[in-house]
Amino acid sequence: MAFPAKYPSLNDTALTDEARSTLIRVIRVAFPHDSFPDGPYERTADTILQAAEESTWFRVALTQGLLTLAHLAGGDFRDLDEDAATSVLRRIESTEFFGFIRRTTVLNLYDDPEVWEAVGYEGSSVEKGGYVNRGFDDLTWLPEPRIETYTGEPIVEIAPSVPLRPLHHATHGSSESAASTSSNTNTQPGATQAQHAEVSK
Amino acid sequence: MTEQNRQGQPIAQDDRAVVIVGSGAGGGTLAYELTQRGIPVVMLEAGAYITHDDYVNNEWEAFNQMAWLDPRTTSGTWRIAKDFPNLPAWIVKAVGGTTTHWSGATPRFKAHEFAVRSTYGRLEGANLLDWPITLAEMEPYYDRAEIAMGSTHVHGRKALPANNNYKVFANGAERLGYKHYSTGPYATNAEEYDGRPASIQDGFNFQGDKNKSKWSTLVREIPRALATGLLDLRASRHVVQITHDASGRVDAVLYLDEEGELQRQEAALVCVAGNSIETPRLLLQSASPMFPDGLANSSGQVGRNYMRHTTGSVYAQFEQAVHMYRGETMAGVIADESRHDPDRGFAGGYYLETISLGPAFLASFGEPGTWGREFTKLIDAYVRTAGLWIVGEDLPQETNRVTLNSSVTDKNGLPVPNVHFDDHPNDLAMRNHGYQQAELLYDAVGSISAHRTPPYPSTHNLGTARMSEKAEDGVVDKWGRAHDVPNLFISDGSQFTSSAAANPTLTIVALAIRQAEYIADELRTGGI
Repeated sequence: MAFPAKYPSLNDTALTDEARSTLIRVIRVAFPHDSFPDGPYERTADTILQAAEESTWFRVALTQGLLTLAHLAGGDFRDLDEDAATSVLRRIESTEFFGFIRRTTVLNLYDDPEVWEAVGYEGSSVEKGGYVNRGFDDLTWLPEPRIETYTGEPIVEIAPSVPLRPLHHATHGSSESAASTSSNTNTQPGATQAQHAEVSK
Repeated sequence: MTEQNRQGQPIAQDDRAVVIVGSGAGGGTLAYELTQRGIPVVMLEAGAYITHDDYVNNEWEAFNQMAWLDPRTTSGTWRIAKDFPNLPAWIVKAVGGTTTHWSGATPRFKAHEFAVRSTYGRLEGANLLDWPITLAEMEPYYDRAEIAMGSTHVHGRKALPANNNYKVFANGAERLGYKHYSTGPYATNAEEYDGRPASIQDGFNFQGDKNKSKWSTLVREIPRALATGLLDLRASRHVVQITHDASGRVDAVLYLDEEGELQRQEAALVCVAGNSIETPRLLLQSASPMFPDGLANSSGQVGRNYMRHTTGSVYAQFEQAVHMYRGETMAGVIADESRHDPDRGFAGGYYLETISLGPAFLASFGEPGTWGREFTKLIDAYVRTAGLWIVGEDLPQETNRVTLNSSVTDKNGLPVPNVHFDDHPNDLAMRNHGYQQAELLYDAVGSISAHRTPPYPSTHNLGTARMSEKAEDGVVDKWGRAHDVPNLFISDGSQFTSSAAANPTLTIVALAIRQAEYIADELRTGGI
């Protein structure tokens, strides 16, 4: 895909090293994790660049967005500290440019084994036999709780304050003691009138 | 793959067969129960045959492998329409349907949850109706469903052990004064049962269980139905229309085969179990001069009263490690709030259940649309995080509905379903109560912060072809049989007259067992 020669800068910008490193900085500022290495951020940026190559709309939005960042930053966005850079991103957070980066980052940055390692998530487990012998119950800072069904008083299913009609299907007690009766209890007004208008269209 | 997608005993396309559309909790159970009674069945499933060997312990990879990703649209004030406009529901497109990725919680409905109109009274904006059946009528079928599914805690099945997430959850419950907490009932084996092994606590439920410890129709009902020699399973076949004869009885289904060619299967009886978005979509796509508003839609209720449960999650952060992702995801339930007590500010009740997402899904679903350190601290605290899910009754509303989108089509040129949803004020009040109780629960065991996560794309989809005593109030009768069409049945959660608080799978299975008995009797006595 190429843009008309009248706008050669559009063809250049999206794929320059400068654009890529600015994009990496945008992702780091928008999704700051002090414990994450550079690799996942770089891979996410490359995924975004790849997606932009495949979509005219995203490519245009990305190119324009990166140019605008420099304007708002009053220079090179990469030179801003985190607070200043965050302020710039807050100003553009409703743009398609930022929305595209945000959505793509959320979907890809956290689907990365290096990120899982950084946050302490262990990933696929079935090939290791699950966690049945590897700590599914190793929490010791709280007492061992009961796992069985409570054997005291059953739940009062309907609060005593609720008036029940005669011939009612339910009782205030638990379900085991519920009476079973049959009666026509459809007295909800409104429904049938409302549907006639719809059906007759 | 193609070979796997056509299994069992072939039935001729011009044979007037019993046809089931969908192979999940409703369709899979029905196929099993009917073939056990000697009735041959054609089962058409839109998804492919994917098994435990194919599943992967990776959230996005599994999602792309199993989820129903055909385009859908959304409208209404629910947050899903903003965050995930083309993903109203997170359900499965594969043989076994959504039972292949469900968590496993199997609470029963309470007696009054079959009688919500009489119990709750008239609630503004809600289209409440009592079910035409009672808990007492359902109890024998609940028993059979629990035994089939191997629910823990009942019928002698051992409880699952406490995993780390449950330890936090249950201790918080105890300190908050809750009594009715436990690790189940939960349809995953704590010890070997029914030919399937005990859980290895691998932590992957929503991705399909590679160990086959979790019940699904894929591991139990479908292989046993195939073994009878009476099931013709045709997967990767998407049904696009149900046709009828001059008398208004259904006579065939039209479906797209694996090559996208339209095929016709003659039918004596059709049971639709495509989950609560595809089921009404199919009925609406089957409109004809005789049924101008859609098949079986003289009531105007097809597609309406769409319910998704009042849900939400709370993820709480602690000083010390939790590792919530290890072990059975939802083997933890608190029932104390499942009562009906309007003094809390809402009708109906809710359960609290343990839940866990991996970092990939927590990033996508934890707080959609946000970024910056407020967002990243949720991920940074991942191993010190405990999570729970609120699941409660949401109210049927006529305007919450599935319709055909007249301007968006899928790859087959069919109109996509649009799902419109607005939260009822009762739903909002219940969700806020649940959030607050969850935060109190975690605070009681020393949380340092807690985050309220909005509802995920809906995993429980209900009510769009509801049961009613009278034909003008709903789509099907107490057996799931269409009021308007004597040989058409609805066999999934679309039948639900109201949502109750309980996770729906057990009730869908129990209703399907009951419906199979009825269908077999009617076929034998000539009632259909």
